[in-house]
Amino acid sequence: MDLNKLTLFGLMKGQMGWLNRRQEVLAQNVANSDTPGYKPADLQPFDFKDMVKRQNMQQGRGLSTTSPMHFAGTRAATSPFAESQDVTPYETSPNGNGVVLEEQMAQIAETQVQHRLTTELYRKHIGMIKIAIGKGR
Amino acid sequence: MDDLLRTLRISASGMKAQGTRLRVISENVANVDSLPTQAGGLPYRRKVVTFRNELDQAIGVNTVRVDRIKTDLSDFQQRFDPAHPAADPNGYVLTPNVSTLVEMTDMREAQRSYEANLNVIKSSKSMLQDTIALMR
Repeated sequence: MDLNKLTLFGLMKGQMGWLNRRQEVLAQNVANSDTPGYKPADLQPFDFKDMVKRQNMQQGRGLSTTSPMHFAGTRAATSPFAESQDVTPYETSPNGNGVVLEEQMAQIAETQVQHRLTTELYRKHIGMIKIAIGKGR
Repeated sequence: MDDLLRTLRISASGMKAQGTRLRVISENVANVDSLPTQAGGLPYRRKVVTFRNELDQAIGVNTVRVDRIKTDLSDFQQRFDPAHPAADPNGYVLTPNVSTLVEMTDMREAQRSYEANLNVIKSSKSMLQDTIALMR
């Protein structure tokens, strides 16, 4: 049984992928909080379209090859989530750095809470499946 | 490599850069009284750190690293001390262009950035642990 075929699990997997990727982008912002000219980035919100895009990417949209002499072609992006740069930050320091640490820390905390929510939901649903197969409490 | 593990790598690079910055600050503070030893000699010159955004080819993320440790080319301060061996004919000695106040604020800033990176690591670690706990 493939759990990802259940829409809910597929969605939660997508959400967790998005949260992991967002944490990475935010960590880049914090690490570069003193780099001159650096502008902070964030991910665009996770929505239904992302989920569909992700499903498509999993199927693989690369060029098919009919001969070993053919190039396989390149896949456009490794991450299905769109990144957006904050062009008008709340404040910009004299050296052109636009990272506001407080904002970044708040976003990281938010990501962490959402991640915990998603993992808890995942666990609950696994528990429900266990009940259905007769091994639950 | 997993996104969260890469996050740890990015934050570690930030902490390393701030650590270097702190080392340079401590050099400046330690040398605040390093005067020239003879007349016409120059005292200690303040050092400054600049950061640079660098793409880590191996894992494909933007890490941060120390660009270059440059010297602060601003003018030296002067102190009237005719008895000093390095005093000029007018009795003035050149003293380093280090201001402890500036160094202390710089140190606080480095400390805050270091803490911020550390908190990102803590947060990512707890997210990883949550994911691993799914197996229980």
